[in-house]
Amino acid sequence: MGRFPAFFIAVIVLALGATSARAAQTIWSGLVIAENVPQPSPIPPELTRIEGSLKTFFGYNQFQVIGHSEKTLKTGQEDWLATSKFFGLHVDARGENEAGYILNLKLYKEKELLLETDAKLSKRSPLVIKGPQIGSGQLLLVLVVQ
Amino acid sequence: MKTFEEKWTAWLDGQLTGRELQQFEASLPDKAAAEAEKEQARKLRELLKRELGAQLLTNEEFFNHQLRERIARENGEASRTGGRRAGGFAWWTIPRMLWTGTMSLAVFLVCTVLVMQEKKPAEESQYLTQILNARVDPVVSPNATVSIFEVKQDRVTVLWTEGLQSLPADYAAK
Repeated sequence: MGRFPAFFIAVIVLALGATSARAAQTIWSGLVIAENVPQPSPIPPELTRIEGSLKTFFGYNQFQVIGHSEKTLKTGQEDWLATSKFFGLHVDARGENEAGYILNLKLYKEKELLLETDAKLSKRSPLVIKGPQIGSGQLLLVLVVQ
Repeated sequence: MKTFEEKWTAWLDGQLTGRELQQFEASLPDKAAAEAEKEQARKLRELLKRELGAQLLTNEEFFNHQLRERIARENGEASRTGGRRAGGFAWWTIPRMLWTGTMSLAVFLVCTVLVMQEKKPAEESQYLTQILNARVDPVVSPNATVSIFEVKQDRVTVLWTEGLQSLPADYAAK
């Protein structure tokens, strides 16, 4: 095989690999209730990578997902909703660069807007937002690029 | 034992002396004719010396002159070429080469360190999630505040709110 065909094939393979790698970006967004209980349930797999930080920083021993959404981004301009019975987290992606995604986040309690924030979500750095106190626990909003 | 021809040649050249000369002249059959021939040979020798000798001297000078010019030219070229070579190599002495190599390495290291230092913060900020802004509804939660933390352990960015309206446990329902 000549040099040019080999080089050409390598470029195509790399381009396809890069394209598929970009297409595979998925953002997991969840509504999480953090509590201290005598018998904590195992942490959900989506939160395993930040389990230590969650426990250390917020001081709770159990984290339960009450609502979540997984969105695979193709254009970086999508929006989606992660909901529980009373809360809704609206995520509006407003662009993408090498580092991550620019997101507008709105937390609703039923139809009432509690919190709004704009964030640049890095692909290697999860985002945790401390929401309102709920009973003896705490509502957390977690966004992770998978 | 010399032959007659050898003695004759030596006699013509005036190289026979003493008893050998006397014996040779006594052996000549016609000494007057021999003396005349010797005189002619002397004149011929002088003529040849005068004519050919002058011409040979001129050629010798001419060749000498040509040789000297050529040698001088070659020496000049050689010295110029040698000078260039020597000048080129003379500057690159081993100490200077070592010094130049060391300085190049030092400049490279300094540039590398500067580039790494400039790049490092950008890389860190690039890989951390950033909160651009945050707003809490002032009507619902008038005393709410927001703070931003970075947990370096897992590169987690935390938006910390305080003073949000507390809700009953029922709101934790799925």
